[in-house]
Amino acid sequence: MQGAVENPDQVIPKDDHILLTARDVTVRFGSVIALNGFTVDIPRGVIGLLGPNGAGKSTFIKASLGLIPRNGGTISVGGLDPQTQSLRIRDDIGYMPEHDCLIPNVSAVELVSYLGQISGMGPRDAMQRSHEVLDFVGIGEERYRLVKSYSTGMKQKVKIAQAIVHDPSLLFLDEPTSGMDPNGREEMLDLVRRIGATGKTVIVSSHILQEVERVCEHAIIISDGRLVRDGKMGVLMAGEEGLFNITIRGVPKALEGFVRALGGVCDIVEKTDEGTNQVALSARGCGDGRRVFALSKEHGVQVRGYVPDKMSLEDVFLQAFQGGGSRGY
Amino acid sequence: MGINPIEYRAWKGVRSAQKSRLYVIAKSVFRHKIRSFGVIALLALGFLLVHAFQIIFSVIAPHESLDAQTMYDYMGSGGTFAIFAILLGAVVTSDLISDDVANRSFVLYFSRAIKVRDYLAGKSSAALLIMSLLCAIPPVMVAIASMATQTGDDYSGSAGVLGRTAVAGAIATIFFVPYGLMMSSLTKRKSYAAVGTFMSFFVMIIVAELFAEFDPAWRIISPADSLAYSFSWIFGLEMPSYVDGWALAGFMTAFIAIPAAVVYLRVKRQVVG
Repeated sequence: MQGAVENPDQVIPKDDHILLTARDVTVRFGSVIALNGFTVDIPRGVIGLLGPNGAGKSTFIKASLGLIPRNGGTISVGGLDPQTQSLRIRDDIGYMPEHDCLIPNVSAVELVSYLGQISGMGPRDAMQRSHEVLDFVGIGEERYRLVKSYSTGMKQKVKIAQAIVHDPSLLFLDEPTSGMDPNGREEMLDLVRRIGATGKTVIVSSHILQEVERVCEHAIIISDGRLVRDGKMGVLMAGEEGLFNITIRGVPKALEGFVRALGGVCDIVEKTDEGTNQVALSARGCGDGRRVFALSKEHGVQVRGYVPDKMSLEDVFLQAFQGGGSRGY
Repeated sequence: MGINPIEYRAWKGVRSAQKSRLYVIAKSVFRHKIRSFGVIALLALGFLLVHAFQIIFSVIAPHESLDAQTMYDYMGSGGTFAIFAILLGAVVTSDLISDDVANRSFVLYFSRAIKVRDYLAGKSSAALLIMSLLCAIPPVMVAIASMATQTGDDYSGSAGVLGRTAVAGAIATIFFVPYGLMMSSLTKRKSYAAVGTFMSFFVMIIVAELFAEFDPAWRIISPADSLAYSFSWIFGLEMPSYVDGWALAGFMTAFIAIPAAVVYLRVKRQVVG
């Protein structure tokens, strides 16, 4: 299971495809069941952990860090058990909490350097590295100001800086864009994308679907402490197999003839008039589209779009909750 | 983000200071405390009112050797030493946990490879170091000054008293810290923690006085008195007949151990969230 480790500080092996597995994980807080038989395999890459508030996302992250005990099931992070080997795991993990957690009466550079030292870095290394990561997240000269004078966006950046100061292999970001304005959100998503591009595994917990859709390669949908759906974004967001969205432009009479002829070839599911000269169709059974293009030539209309049906992550999310069940529509 | 954003760079170094995490926390707390006006003021005032006179007295007053009774009178009787120790304990420990409760910053520590006991050890060792600046180091300085100026030859006897002074100083250093940490873990406001610590000691002293009217053995529940009784035992002096040695040991152990357990459980609970 465990692969070769290049850096002595790196305890999470680089070459396993599946980085984190959870099997039937149950976590209870008194009578509240936060995770209820949660099972998932999390691959490497930028992963979205999605779910409504109270779904169990933060609980799963904390259980993976070994911060809270499990009542049942197993979790493995790079082959290590958070319950018994939490310190080794935490040495190679960065965590950006959702809530405000920064120490207000110190400057950002002092704080990040201090936390680097608590991660085991020497004082000089920690100071040098804290400047590096603050440069990376875009905190300039403000780094010398006390954290309590920062805006929410700057605090979020300092939180991400403290999570990466020790260069962990796995990064948990809990609601990274929480409380940020649109520009700040863009910058934060860009940071996530750039960290992910370095080969690190980044698990982004969020309930903002558009953000996850933009930066993640894989999504896990969780509700009431259970896995609802998971998979690669491309697979999750793929629409019904064989269903294509076709956009046609032409004079109204030619369009009418084309649609009638196409009805004889494919099964038209939906037709929407987009003005007088354009029609949008959803059709299945059109094969590779050659017949569609042949018909368009025959009727003198233009095919402006011929794309497989694709859902938004919001559709996937809603469908998963309406359809219910693991992996089920 | 600029036109050419600074890219993420992996860190090529090796983490060589994993074993120094406690030291990092302790150093940070110590540096913060030693710059605090309240701590500096208490240390200066305490040194002047409790220790300075005794050092001068030890040097100028002729004495044959370092005497246990003299050291007990200086550290144990009168209560000034204990009052300053209580005040400093309350001020030093007040924000150690309460600030992290208020800022919810425990997660910054515990998402790293650090245990609750390491975190507490780091925080308390800094507090103990500050406490020792008033409770342990000056009495040892007084004892050394007294030994250096003694007229007699009994240096081994004096060295014994010096050792006992160091033990008494260590106990005074440790005695109030766990209780202060416990109060700090129970609130988000350091002012509440400081006042709460001092007032609860004050209440214990009042209650001990009230019950002592019926049975003087109740005096052991006063932290200042129990500290004084423990000093008389350490210096090999006779304890008052109403003080039961086991009861005193039990109270002092409980006074340290129960708050330490409470603060551990409180922090553990905060980590879980």
